[in-house]
Amino acid sequence: MAVVAQPHDAPEGHVINQTHAEVTRDVVATLGPPTRGYVLLLLGAVSLFLIGIATFLVLIKDGLGHAGYNPPVFWSVYITTFVFWVGIGHAGTLISAILFLFRSPWRTAVYRSTEAMTVFAVMTAGLFPIIHIGRQWIFYWLLPYPNERYLWPNFKSPLIWDVFAISTYLTVSTTFLVFGLIPDVAAVRDKVSGWRKSIYSWSSVGWKGTDNQWRHYSRAYLYLAALATPLVLSVHSVVSWDFAVGIVPGWHGTIFAPYFVAGAIYSGIGMVLTLIIPLRRALKIEHMIHSYHFDNLAKLTLLTGSILLYAYAMEYFVAWYSGNTFEQTTFYRRAFGPMWWAGWSMIICNAFVSQLLWFRKIRTNLTSLFVISIFINIGMWFERYVIIVSSLSNDYIPWAWDQMNPTWADWGILLGSFGWFGMWFLLFAKTFPIVAIQEIKEMIPMPRRRGGHG
Amino acid sequence: MTEESKPTIDRRRFLTVLGASSGGAIALSGCSTGQVEKLIPYLVQSEDQVPGVATWYSSTCTECSTGCGLHVRTREGRAVKLEGNPEHPVNQGKLCSRGQAGLQGLYNPGRLKGPMARAANGQFQEITWDDAIARLAGKLGPAGNKVAVISGAGRGTFSDLLSDWVRALGGRLARYEAFASEPLRAANRQVFGLDQIAAHDFGRAKYIVSFGTDFLDTGLASIEHARGFARSHGFSERDVAKMVYLAPRMDLTGLNADQWHPIKPGSEAALALAMANLLLTERGARGEGAALRGALSAFTPEAAAQETGLPVATIQQLAREFGAARPSLAVAGGAGSQHAGATEVCAAVNILNYVAGNIGETVRFGADLDTSDGYGALQPLLAALDAGQVDVALVHEANPAYTLPRTSGFAAKFQKAGFKVSTSMYLDETSALCDLLLPQHHALERWDDLRPRAGVHSLMQPVMEPVFNTMATGDLLLRTAKAMGGTLAGFNASSYKDHLQARWQGLAATRKETDFAAFWHGALQRGGVFTDPPAAPRVSLAPRGGQVRYTKPVFEGDGPFVFATYAHSLLHDGRGANKPWLLENADPVTKITWHSWVEVHPDTARKLDVRDGEILRLTSPHGSIEAPVFVYQGIHPDVVAVPLGLGHTEYGSYARGRGVNALDLLGAPAGDFLPYISTRVSVEKTGDYKSLASIAGNSRQLGRGIAEAMSLDAAKKGLTVEQAYLAEGHGKHEINTELELEAIKGWSERQIQDTKDGNYTGDHPRWGMAIDLAKCTGCQACVTACYAENNIPTVGETEIGKGREMTWIRIERYWEGGEEPGQPVTAHFVPMLCQHCSNAPCEPVCPVYAAYHTPDGLNGQVYNRCVGTRYCANNCPYKVRYFNWYKYNQVAWPEPLHLQLNPDVTVRARGVMEKCTFCIQRIRGAQNDARLENRVMRDGDVVTACAQACPSDAIVFGDVNDPASRVARLHQDHRGYRVLEDLNTRSAITYLAKVLLPAEA
Amino acid sequence: MRKLAYVVGGVAAGGVAALLTLGGHPPYAQQANTVADSIVAPVLSASDTGSLKGPRQPIFFRHDIHAGQYKIQCQYCHYSVAVSSEPGIPSVQTCMGCHLVIGGSDSSHQTEIKKLRQAWNEKKPVEWVRVHYLARHAHFPHQRHIKALGPTACATCHGDVQRMPQVFKVNKVDNMGFCITCHIERKVSRDCSVCHY
Repeated sequence: MAVVAQPHDAPEGHVINQTHAEVTRDVVATLGPPTRGYVLLLLGAVSLFLIGIATFLVLIKDGLGHAGYNPPVFWSVYITTFVFWVGIGHAGTLISAILFLFRSPWRTAVYRSTEAMTVFAVMTAGLFPIIHIGRQWIFYWLLPYPNERYLWPNFKSPLIWDVFAISTYLTVSTTFLVFGLIPDVAAVRDKVSGWRKSIYSWSSVGWKGTDNQWRHYSRAYLYLAALATPLVLSVHSVVSWDFAVGIVPGWHGTIFAPYFVAGAIYSGIGMVLTLIIPLRRALKIEHMIHSYHFDNLAKLTLLTGSILLYAYAMEYFVAWYSGNTFEQTTFYRRAFGPMWWAGWSMIICNAFVSQLLWFRKIRTNLTSLFVISIFINIGMWFERYVIIVSSLSNDYIPWAWDQMNPTWADWGILLGSFGWFGMWFLLFAKTFPIVAIQEIKEMIPMPRRRGGHG
Repeated sequence: MTEESKPTIDRRRFLTVLGASSGGAIALSGCSTGQVEKLIPYLVQSEDQVPGVATWYSSTCTECSTGCGLHVRTREGRAVKLEGNPEHPVNQGKLCSRGQAGLQGLYNPGRLKGPMARAANGQFQEITWDDAIARLAGKLGPAGNKVAVISGAGRGTFSDLLSDWVRALGGRLARYEAFASEPLRAANRQVFGLDQIAAHDFGRAKYIVSFGTDFLDTGLASIEHARGFARSHGFSERDVAKMVYLAPRMDLTGLNADQWHPIKPGSEAALALAMANLLLTERGARGEGAALRGALSAFTPEAAAQETGLPVATIQQLAREFGAARPSLAVAGGAGSQHAGATEVCAAVNILNYVAGNIGETVRFGADLDTSDGYGALQPLLAALDAGQVDVALVHEANPAYTLPRTSGFAAKFQKAGFKVSTSMYLDETSALCDLLLPQHHALERWDDLRPRAGVHSLMQPVMEPVFNTMATGDLLLRTAKAMGGTLAGFNASSYKDHLQARWQGLAATRKETDFAAFWHGALQRGGVFTDPPAAPRVSLAPRGGQVRYTKPVFEGDGPFVFATYAHSLLHDGRGANKPWLLENADPVTKITWHSWVEVHPDTARKLDVRDGEILRLTSPHGSIEAPVFVYQGIHPDVVAVPLGLGHTEYGSYARGRGVNALDLLGAPAGDFLPYISTRVSVEKTGDYKSLASIAGNSRQLGRGIAEAMSLDAAKKGLTVEQAYLAEGHGKHEINTELELEAIKGWSERQIQDTKDGNYTGDHPRWGMAIDLAKCTGCQACVTACYAENNIPTVGETEIGKGREMTWIRIERYWEGGEEPGQPVTAHFVPMLCQHCSNAPCEPVCPVYAAYHTPDGLNGQVYNRCVGTRYCANNCPYKVRYFNWYKYNQVAWPEPLHLQLNPDVTVRARGVMEKCTFCIQRIRGAQNDARLENRVMRDGDVVTACAQACPSDAIVFGDVNDPASRVARLHQDHRGYRVLEDLNTRSAITYLAKVLLPAEA
Repeated sequence: MRKLAYVVGGVAAGGVAALLTLGGHPPYAQQANTVADSIVAPVLSASDTGSLKGPRQPIFFRHDIHAGQYKIQCQYCHYSVAVSSEPGIPSVQTCMGCHLVIGGSDSSHQTEIKKLRQAWNEKKPVEWVRVHYLARHAHFPHQRHIKALGPTACATCHGDVQRMPQVFKVNKVDNMGFCITCHIERKVSRDCSVCHY
């Protein structure tokens, strides 16, 4: 949009040698009839989703017992996956809102897809608080609503804070995504015909691209961005308090909020990479998202990854320094106890793998970047798994200690969540421009008069 | 309840009444709002039944031969809980797990629904009682005197009637029970010429030596013993009695001992005699003593050291300490130490007690405890069966087909009887062999009495309508006599109740009671007639009583290990194996539930290279069994042990095919008793593995001060746990500084302020508890009581394997010491239940206020508000919150077990968190009563189920805000501490530290 | 012989009564009367019960006659309400206590009372249809409420049973809202664990 970086002072490698028409054409092309590959992917996602549904139905029928809960481990894979998805949801708003305010132009190529990812990730996360409770059919008791019993939820409980954090985040990020889409939908509207035209024209809410519209639009966009920014920090802080507020050794840490936010952004960007790298090829938009963008994404990953490394180190240091026997036992067992494998895979995948990104070669090589991003996803899931399960499995009363092993019910829901997420993302990619047409156009240098012929 | 006032409605009726009238009585879904459509009134209202109000009847426990007194709580005409009868001299208001589980015998799904006869096709089919009696009489007539009866009934009117009945027929009668303490009786006969079992007064003993006798758990009168032991061994201003345990295996009594010496199996007698010898020599005996000394001179400490593997010094010290303390007490006998030489051990211990002058002091003859005649008495009868001299065989309250080793060939011999009849309530192994099943009433459904010991006449009365179409065997005998006439014509009482009352008229006459009705009614109310035991006879050595022997133990077979088996703490001789409470409640020593196990010493395990749960095959000359390993430090390295009581082939769905029967490894030698430690076994790995269904996580405290203890002199000095800890030269505990405490102060006060609305007693009590670890023996009677009172579902083996047991109160058993070789291992027990913190971590995290703080200081748990986020359980540092992962409430109480449910307590649905409520239903009940009587609550108005059951009275409950209350005073005790106090949870439970006796003194 | 005549007469009378009442719709107890101390129960027969509020009972037991017209105390039949959490359902014996002698004034009554006597003779308790019930996780100690509100406080929850020919649910006693409102008005405990345990 107008207020964003002027092309001529854009950094090297950050120009697109296309005409506006070509950009529109290429992007609209991505909305063309689905390829076989796309259909297969979609089917895969849907079937995973169905597996999740089936598992959930069994849970409702018999109770949560099917999942691998072994007291004292009362939370495990479901909450782990919940936090995982909330984390994923963070890259979107970060890139689209914060980087927007920071005027970093490279965001333009990727922000649409990350925003979409954000919305769908939060949608996925939102399901888990419902799935994991014992009596799913009365989940609405967690919401404050007037009733004849004069009963209200307990606003002291972090779980209630969660309810608000997640719902707010979902609302704002959805608004942000939809709002940003308007001009592009309009662009698409002008390119398509028939019933699709009518749909797009309805959803482009009469966008004409007049100066007046642009002025208001960009101003509103700025405000929305400002509004969304604090959420990036608040949401995952609140989620981290689910644990930090508890007195379980390994949870009860003051660094949890920043630690979780960093982790969230880290995992979010990891997921962005995992999605975009194949996507740009599939949609033939390599010329719009190229190494320049990945380089920047990788740097952000490196930053957050390093913060994690610090956080991990700090956790162990504090446990040792506190002299608190409970903390010490917990962290000793996290590294050398029965769950050592999980503990180490978290540290290696997150703290160490990301350090490879110091090398420009690795940052700009898509293959290595993709592999690393996969490591990040796995590592971040394990981070939550370790924090939750390993801390619970050995807390204050040794007599109650026990290990937990996930069962088909755990995996079923986990797969289901990926299916649900993938389904929405794929559908989105085929329905709306996955790169922001308008902002790409702004990266096209002004036509210059050349000597000689015209 | 008396005949006249018994509501004349059949069972189906009172069920429906109850369904309608008592909230959640048979409601299997706690949080459903489903209504009961019909209200079905009594036809005639019985005056002693008020709907919604419990009626109590006194009765007598028949779960073992001890004969404890019962108070049976009934609601809407059905028994819902068994508690001890405070007036009863034997158990004085307390009751063990087995006794409490009698309720699950009454409502057992395995019970026979009515009389049955074996049809032509070999299957049992239901018949009518008239038919059944006709058949029995028809067979008895021609049989003449070729009748044999095996009865496990305790001494009382019934057993007398039975023996008269059998005598009239000229038949044979054997009073048989698996654990009949035959060696004790034999030894008393031999040494003192008394055909009796003596009572033991542990309360007065200043020094206790147990030669492998599990007197606190499976022994005779364990409740009485626990009470006495708590008095002498629990800490008080008086000296604390020391208890030494001498046996190859540490059972629950061993875990409570101050010292355990793992002696070689079968060597107890040598040790006891050596001690007696030393006493005599050091005391310079005269007269009779001199003679004895001659007899004992052969038994030197050196020889004993040789036999037992104990150092001579230890033996001498034992003898010295034993002699120095007066009165002291040495005990022997019991299944756990019943090897071929058991009688010698008992005789030797008699001598030891005699020499130490304990006879008449702590060993009381004249009490004449009741035990069956046992194994020896069965032999001639089996021979007769084998010889085909029996036409009609009747088995009553006994299950020899299971409790005798297969090698005894009981089944085959029994089959030779022409017509086999069983009066068992269940289709057990023996009745499965029979032709005619005449199931008797449960003890709670019939009239009867017992004389468990001299001076105790204990009554039983029907507390409810029979659950099934059964008949009291007393009535059966009488009706059969009528039907048959002839030799039985003499038995003409119209009913067994009349017969019983006739007998009691005799008793009334002897007691100069003029008004029999009053006497009878009074006896019914008190639970019987209790007089002081007759003065102990003057006990002296029988001629040749001093001629005691010790024969070196020999064990059949040539395996490397001696095979020991012992009475299961809860299943006893196997009679408990179909009661879910007893299966789910963990064994107090190993903490294993629902299945068998093999105890192996760590060194042995290392040699064999086996770990917990690896399945071993034990092979003896008589057979082989397979069971998972439990590595146990409390067993002699050369011994492997398996509990009795499991491996049933019949007896009901819970018991059938569960675990292994240790008897399969034993022979059945002729003799007075069955030696349970008589074979050697070879051990091999099967390669299979079974994860133990154990409720134990980590059995080490890791220095977290959960089960605290202090030395005796520290306790005498009145030091606190903290001071005692520092006195031992440790560094300071990490505790909250004054500042921190100040900072958090007022948290609970504020909480109470917030809930001021809830003022319904006029003032705020603060319910609290004190648990004295110096008294707690870890017997787990409290656990069973909690299951019974609070409708706690049993979840079964697989769920327990996942750590999902629902034990609101659990006994944590932490090992101390034993890490490096040579260091003795000891156990510290700590009952763990909801601590009802004032500053509870579970409360603020609940999003819906299902966990919240009540004005009277409880951690409320509102089941119907709970959505099941389980955050509270994560945040509970004591891990005492339990979640309904499945619909446990729909599988835990199959018909008719659901009749046991306590109508005052909501049955929890799946997806709901539950935990100890301090028996809030009892609190509310007491508050209602107080309100009706326009008075405030008094100390003792509320007694929680666990406190009520605790045999050693270690648990005290009450209002901490009432300075006069017992619990408030105990909260001030110097030994008091709170678990994880550093977390500032401000728990309502104060534990009094265990007191450790110095090992050498 | 006389018995037979009795029965025939009764049936005939019942028929007449039925014919008479076939006209206008049957009067409801609520409209029947205003002053509590002079309740005259309307004449109704079993055939009207369908059009009366509340579930139809196996025997057309008239609370308005027993409690209203004849002013029999509630606790005469609901005997345990003051001492127990359960109000107590009268045993058939209790009914027969009076109805051994009282045969009923008009035929419609007689037919109902015959049912009762039959039940007594056949030793079959009457299966009343339950009107008020509580969720199983809520404990309602009747005795506490009688103690606090007095022996005539039944109407507070159960409505003016004295005027009900056929009992019906006036208040949603199975809704927590109903309980808590009253508890708030009267400033008594709102603590959950008073009722839920």
